[in-house]
Amino acid sequence: MSNRRLFAFVDALATGRRPKRFRAQPEDADVLRTAIALRAARPGEAAPTEPFVEGLFQRLSEQAKSPSMPEPRPARRLRVRTVLVAAAAAGLLVAGTAVVTEQLHHPAPTSAAAHVPQGSQLRTGTFQTTDGQVLGQIVAYRGHPSWVYMNVNVPQYDGTIECMLQVDNGATVAFGTFTVHGGGGQFSKTLSEVNVSQLRGAKLVSSTGSTVAAATFAR
Amino acid sequence: MVSGGDVPYLHVVDDDVYRDWESVYRDNVDRLYRLMYARVGNRADAEDLTSEVFSTALGPLRLSSSKGQVRAYLLVTAQTVLASHWRRRLGQPVTAIDPDTDIAYLTEPSAVEVVSDAPARARKILQALPDRYRRILELRFLEACSIKEAARSMGISVSNAKVLQHRALRMAANVDLELGP
Repeated sequence: MSNRRLFAFVDALATGRRPKRFRAQPEDADVLRTAIALRAARPGEAAPTEPFVEGLFQRLSEQAKSPSMPEPRPARRLRVRTVLVAAAAAGLLVAGTAVVTEQLHHPAPTSAAAHVPQGSQLRTGTFQTTDGQVLGQIVAYRGHPSWVYMNVNVPQYDGTIECMLQVDNGATVAFGTFTVHGGGGQFSKTLSEVNVSQLRGAKLVSSTGSTVAAATFAR
Repeated sequence: MVSGGDVPYLHVVDDDVYRDWESVYRDNVDRLYRLMYARVGNRADAEDLTSEVFSTALGPLRLSSSKGQVRAYLLVTAQTVLASHWRRRLGQPVTAIDPDTDIAYLTEPSAVEVVSDAPARARKILQALPDRYRRILELRFLEACSIKEAARSMGISVSNAKVLQHRALRMAANVDLELGP
């Protein structure tokens, strides 16, 4: 362990500077965690500044308008928009302009040299019934840790739903079970045994064993 | 059940949804920042990590999801962003975000109420320490003194102040562990 580097890190925390990286040892973690907890307790510094909030808003606005953002596939966009526009027309859906995205991600530059997940690290799919009705979305992230997040709207359904992941070799892996209340549910879990890049799709199965919906991950 | 033709073509969604990505941002930026600040303890990193969460999450975001679903998605993204931060910075997972317990940061009416636990916990830790240990940590972390100023205030050398701070932090870490999550 380098006490000098540990001291420098703690000193930066105490004085409000960005701490420099170093290779910490496991026993350093407790000390650093406590230093962070003490620093976070200093009155009046936990809130974001107005310039930061507005500056980030401007950067995200430019990111959203960037022409380099890939468009969703036309066929699927048309199908999803049909559903959403029809729903909005019926007064049932507030967010009528939403579209399901396919591997969207082009990050805006930040003030740090942080690694922002690129498109290849995020994979998305849309849960659809056998007749093409959209029931939700699934997002898989390849990183450390990798994780999968999904949300579903299954009308008039209360109960458990099991998520099965399908990999490229055709195998199906039971990923987890979550509960849907009043039609709505969401589920997230870290993914350790399956490589995100090898995911082909996902399937939702009801408590009675019938398939609710399936999703195919966009390439 | 829910398969095939039993599913209505139009589905009713929770009224409690965001109307656009700006409302997602405005409703969550303060809360996410406070969460990140509590996990990294400095403004520069908290700002960068908050930026990274939004930059990552807004692309795949589906606005027809309920506010609860959007917040859960933001929190899972924040979990990954923070884990990557510590891996790059120290190679150790110093702090983490637990989507099950930290969702309160994004759902409470005011995130301040959640973070307000931090001063109380800091007081408990400090009160459990010997006087000199408590004083050096108060001077450094709560009163924003430099190591020189802290040494001068306590009437000791800078070298002694560094040793005292190191020992005090070690003991404080043990107290923190005893207090539990």
